[in-house]
Amino acid sequence: MVFRRVSDVVWELPAIDGMRVPGIIFASQALMTLVREERAAEQVRNVAHLPGITKASFAMPDIHWGYGFPIGGVAATDVAAGGVVSPGGVGFDICCGVRLLASSFTEADFERFRDRVMSSLDRRIPRGMGRGAIASGSLVPEVLVRGAAAALDAGYGWQGDLERCEEQGLSSGADPSAVSDHAIARGKGQLGSLGSGNHFLEIQVVDQLFDPVAASAFGLDAGMLVVMLHCGSRGLGHQTCTDQLRLMGPAMARHGISVPDRQLACVPVESTEGREYLGAMAASANFAWANRHVLAHEVREGFAEAFDVSPEATGMRLVYDVAHNLAKLEPHQVDGRVIELCVHRKGATRAFAPGHPDLAQDIRGSGQPVLVPGSMGTASWVLRGVAGNPAFSSAAHGAGRVMSRKQAKQRESGRMVRDHLETAGISVRPGSVALLSEEAPYAYKDVDEVAEVCARAGLAAKVARLRPVGVIKG
Amino acid sequence: MPYRVLPHTADTGIEGTAETLDSLIAVMSQGMFELVGRCKASSQRRWLTLTIDAETVEDLLVDTMSELLYLSETEDLLFCDFRVRVHPGGPAATMEVGGVPASAVEPAGPPIKAVTYHDLVVERREGKWYGRVYFDV
Repeated sequence: MVFRRVSDVVWELPAIDGMRVPGIIFASQALMTLVREERAAEQVRNVAHLPGITKASFAMPDIHWGYGFPIGGVAATDVAAGGVVSPGGVGFDICCGVRLLASSFTEADFERFRDRVMSSLDRRIPRGMGRGAIASGSLVPEVLVRGAAAALDAGYGWQGDLERCEEQGLSSGADPSAVSDHAIARGKGQLGSLGSGNHFLEIQVVDQLFDPVAASAFGLDAGMLVVMLHCGSRGLGHQTCTDQLRLMGPAMARHGISVPDRQLACVPVESTEGREYLGAMAASANFAWANRHVLAHEVREGFAEAFDVSPEATGMRLVYDVAHNLAKLEPHQVDGRVIELCVHRKGATRAFAPGHPDLAQDIRGSGQPVLVPGSMGTASWVLRGVAGNPAFSSAAHGAGRVMSRKQAKQRESGRMVRDHLETAGISVRPGSVALLSEEAPYAYKDVDEVAEVCARAGLAAKVARLRPVGVIKG
Repeated sequence: MPYRVLPHTADTGIEGTAETLDSLIAVMSQGMFELVGRCKASSQRRWLTLTIDAETVEDLLVDTMSELLYLSETEDLLFCDFRVRVHPGGPAATMEVGGVPASAVEPAGPPIKAVTYHDLVVERREGKWYGRVYFDV
């Protein structure tokens, strides 16, 4: 596959062999070398076949091989022109995302209470297989309709939290009737649980500020102890995607659509099946918003217990909550006119520019916070949306894997990874020590370079770099 | 081993070969759960029965494995014994599966989120049944 280098961080795959638009990958030379070593570029090309796709099949700097869509893929389809929605462009973990909490504590405070904080969170945060949930399953039907607000009304969270959530923690158009009994059965035991794999809860320190004005608006300051958590819609979302993909196969035939990979199954947004998928997806997304809300509540309780203060005295205000696996109907300007697009972000974060009306008043001047987690041992980043984003207001969602799970386990044992992290001053409470090496820092790309490429490509601007001091791993 | 783990940057896949479609579904199901953990031979099994109807043999494999993931999560079981009978005349199968409480198994890998259609293959090759499937992990 031959890419044309457009600039130092932009690579174009010309539209050939049935591609409706070109492929565009945002990457440095070093990151592009990694892309060429796997099948992610092939997936960028395949996505370019989707009916109604507009402008380009984009890939963020953390792109890697996924299933159907590449992880880090962004595809926007023109709804009025028969543009499609593809469950594979959202993924199984619908509305997987990242939440960041500020605090009134510093790294020095954490050093004094390190063991108490880690033990409290270790005990309180359900994770891994068969480990339960914080909230009652009876809350699930309301959560599917009202998202994080349902969790808030049930006593999880603080007033003011919702303003700092993407979409205020509520995906519109939710249709709980499109969520199967199977999906609800899975979700009922999992509301307020972290999951496993690359999901985590990290205690971090604001290590460097690059934009003090935006950082201040977001509620961040140098040296502040913060908490980042990464999880999604759990089994409820996985089942919803499974159910909908099963329906899409026959539906595609009815609509006369063919795609290069069955995982790219899709139907027109403006079709019965398309509307049903979006309704089921939104309901599942509402579960994810609420899931992170419940977990954040438990984090506040855990810090209060560890520091022996009230939850309010922890100062653990919500900085922001972002999704990185969603399809959304958004107005965007294309060729001089504003049209409605179905923007798929599969492992990519929405990044609205300063002044966007959907942002809360107190951060509107700075742009949307974009949360880019690393993987234990490595930094995480807070970026912000900027004007002129070339990929439908999208940015990276993480570091991006570079090594398979098998390779990662062969390089070091879980015990070795834990020892290295502890030596580096990072406390670790894994769901399983044996599985820790699958998510070792060396299994991921250089997150600092991903953030740098985001900045140089005009996807987002740097605000703050966060350094981990404690990890609760799923 | 009748199946092989396929490399993938973020997720995991397996491919397998068997004399019959019944055996292939059993082998692939076994492979999927062995990615997560292995039951001790001495552990008491709990047995469940499921029946799957599908449009194609590919769908039969994906639907069967997806249903097993659902049962695994909701019943808190890790499955390790698989008895499959594909119905003559159409892509449908009845399966008896034996499992142990997932919480009692030492994990070999993270739980599998879902069975994907990416690069999915179920076909006859050189007189045997061949299957390839990737999982979201």
